[in-house]
Amino acid sequence: MLLPKVINLICVKNVARRLLISTRNYPGMKHEVYDYIQWVRPAKIPATDPLKSGDLEKMKKIDGKTLLLNFERSKLLENANELVKRKFSVELNPRKEAVRLYVDEMIKKVQRHDSDYGSMEAKLAKMTAVIRAGQVALEENPKNKKMKQQIKELIEKRKKFLKFLRRYDYKRFEYMLEQLDIKYMPAPDHFHWIARKEAMRSLTKRFCRNIKENRLDTYKHILQAQQLEFLENKIKNLEFIRNEQVECKVPVTITNEQINKVKKQYEELKHQREEEDEVRRKNEVRDDYEIKL
Amino acid sequence: MSKIASKSKHFLLLGQCLPCLKQNASKIRVRKMVLDTNLNMYFRKDKIYFAHDPNKVCKSGDVVLIKELDKKFTTLITHSVEEVVFPLGDVVDPITGKKCVVGKYREQIDEANALYGKKETAFDYDKAPARGKLEGTKDFTHGVTYIKYHEGEEEQPFGV
Repeated sequence: MLLPKVINLICVKNVARRLLISTRNYPGMKHEVYDYIQWVRPAKIPATDPLKSGDLEKMKKIDGKTLLLNFERSKLLENANELVKRKFSVELNPRKEAVRLYVDEMIKKVQRHDSDYGSMEAKLAKMTAVIRAGQVALEENPKNKKMKQQIKELIEKRKKFLKFLRRYDYKRFEYMLEQLDIKYMPAPDHFHWIARKEAMRSLTKRFCRNIKENRLDTYKHILQAQQLEFLENKIKNLEFIRNEQVECKVPVTITNEQINKVKKQYEELKHQREEEDEVRRKNEVRDDYEIKL
Repeated sequence: MSKIASKSKHFLLLGQCLPCLKQNASKIRVRKMVLDTNLNMYFRKDKIYFAHDPNKVCKSGDVVLIKELDKKFTTLITHSVEEVVFPLGDVVDPITGKKCVVGKYREQIDEANALYGKKETAFDYDKAPARGKLEGTKDFTHGVTYIKYHEGEEEQPFGV
């Protein structure tokens, strides 16, 4: 009866150890910055993953009953027994036969003419098909290192070819991306390992910038709220000064043009504010309606 | 005198456009060959200029002509884009003036395709849209990519 208790204890210990590892303290990690900024290290994506290779589409599933490549043209098979036909179908043959069909289909999507299997388009289509077939195979069999290496190298080769194609024929490059559903991302300028210190520095910079922008925004709103009132006062004051100067027969320094200019500014601003208010009200009504729905 | 000399030296420059984060400017790399007197060999030396380009006339990779501004726009922006001389991926043979792809003219490729019987789904220059259709969806060459250092809520389209 002791055994389950012991196992339980070990489990608890293991969990605690794992927790400790996940929240381990790096030197300098007790700084108060860590209360505001949480750094999450990006998970490593394998080079053969579609996320990294840029394949937006998966390999198409091929129906088991389809005949092997070029066998659909055979006249003998047309009148053959069902069992014989099945013998020459995808389901009773190795996986590579299905891949061969898929490769042919992909090439036919982009080839220049019916017998074109060697142009850059056909090459890229073939590579893409093989890569996607390999990615599916790797999902089922992640320990197949040889396959993983081959797929990785093929992905890199395809990327290099796409780079060249972009340089010498941009429109064809875009056509290829669209037809084959590939995302092309150029490599960053320089390679560097991701480290906590560097990442925290950039995150802190971003955090500070956000604070600065927010504060400036709030201050801007406060000033904008006072703008109309200020202009009203300005008009009143200018008119008062002008009247006083005229009455006291002192040289008049304020012209009517100046006052009209301020009045015009005031009216334009008022009109603008009213329009903004209306838009805001409409949005609020729409939001309420959507919430009710 | 020295002012005039410097002005004439950098008046018009030919360079290549690089992806840039600035909104109304383009980053232009001007390449120059400099003689190393010890080795008696020329080595390339790059200089980067920021050219005023509010409409984003030039895209990354284009070869453009830039002109020095009479007065600096900002401390960074000293030039303006004059014209795009060679757009990227649209190579023109300088002798015949025909469009070419690697070692062949486009005409030759089209002729060969016509002889074999061109497919309807095949790529066609006349039907192809102008560059920039896939920008931001499948083609990310217009921006500066970086190695992703943080996994946050916000999207990072240029993080690798």
